[in-house]
Amino acid sequence: MSTGSVSPQKPAVPLRHRLNIDAMTSEQRAAFRAAMSSAMRVSDERGYNYQAGIHGLPLPISCDIAHGRPIFLPWHRAYLYFFELTLRDQQSGVTLPWWDWTTDRRVPEAYRETDVDGHPNPLYSAKVDPTALAQGAQAGDRRGAMTRREPGAAGAPPLPTASEISGVLALPSFLDFTHQLEQLHNNVHVWVGGHMGDIPFAAFDPIFWAHHAMIDRVWRMWQLRHPSAGVPHNLLGEALPPFNMTVRHTLDSNTLGYDYAVRSATSSGTGPAAETG
Amino acid sequence: MGPFVSQPIANPAAAGEPDFTRADLVFYGVDHSGPSFEARIFLNTPDAGLSTPRDPDSGYAGSFTIFGHAGCAGDAGHCDVPTGPADPFDVRPPHALTPQTKTVIITDALRRITDAELTIKIVPVRPGALSAELADTLQFDEFRLLTFL
Repeated sequence: MSTGSVSPQKPAVPLRHRLNIDAMTSEQRAAFRAAMSSAMRVSDERGYNYQAGIHGLPLPISCDIAHGRPIFLPWHRAYLYFFELTLRDQQSGVTLPWWDWTTDRRVPEAYRETDVDGHPNPLYSAKVDPTALAQGAQAGDRRGAMTRREPGAAGAPPLPTASEISGVLALPSFLDFTHQLEQLHNNVHVWVGGHMGDIPFAAFDPIFWAHHAMIDRVWRMWQLRHPSAGVPHNLLGEALPPFNMTVRHTLDSNTLGYDYAVRSATSSGTGPAAETG
Repeated sequence: MGPFVSQPIANPAAAGEPDFTRADLVFYGVDHSGPSFEARIFLNTPDAGLSTPRDPDSGYAGSFTIFGHAGCAGDAGHCDVPTGPADPFDVRPPHALTPQTKTVIITDALRRITDAELTIKIVPVRPGALSAELADTLQFDEFRLLTFL
């Protein structure tokens, strides 16, 4: 889709488009890294650590209402929406990229590079909230102060395949679909390992957001393929704390201002085309 | 609990049984309070272990993965799931560690088993940089094998 609107009272406006991290231009990647770096320097609720901590530690672990439950997809869509706005407050125009683990079978290059242009790459590792570390230690879970990964460690479940994604996209029931997709989602968390591998610290790893953008994208694709199916009516009014949304608010990504595109090119109308987010 | 082997159950794919279009293994009351792990499921392979390949010849049927809570970071009682009847006016979400249900679609794997009885072997695996380990956090109340026409 190209346009969306929060209300029928308002004119439709251009959507922003989330892109595959491997398809982003160097300028798009640079803008995204700049937004992440800026957010990581903010220590209050406008900052990266606050957003990451919503998912896991510090307590409360807000995603606990979402995992293994039918609001898994709506809750995480709301989560990404607010995080993306956090980034856009730092760097207007950026969107979250997705990691298509069905085709890119390693941690994407943009997230593997330790340094970019002589500076630490904010997509490689992030500082973990000290309160989260202290609470984790209290639970016997001692983690490093900077996120790290163990991708594909011995015994890790495999990354989902295109065939598996096709299989879940074919499921006609939302409850069946979300359950099976969450299972594949879990596999990616454990495959990446390190901080990503367990709930309390997963969202501190910058790749968390690209993984969940992919999951959200698969939900969007399922919605387009099954337009007459949907979230059961008894779930639509469910709140998604701490976000001021219900499940109903998350159903249409176009009302949240975004969609997923493989590639995006923009022209001013008078000059040569340039790819943008 | 480490690896789990079920008692033999009747095989709905055995000769003479009605055909089905889908078969699910559903695990109820699955604990997710500990670290993450993968639970690999094998049919009629009671000796399956960490090194057993994930292929049809080994009876591999699929897996589920627990994205774990990794322990209790709160004070005493924080991670105790309430028991007993709920207050009918309590609209708070269920406790964070309320056990989960996991469904693994095993249609093709089950069709390959023609024996009259089935055993389910579950190998819980915790990945590691140097080597995989058997996880000891697999806990569930019961499982059902469901087939659908």
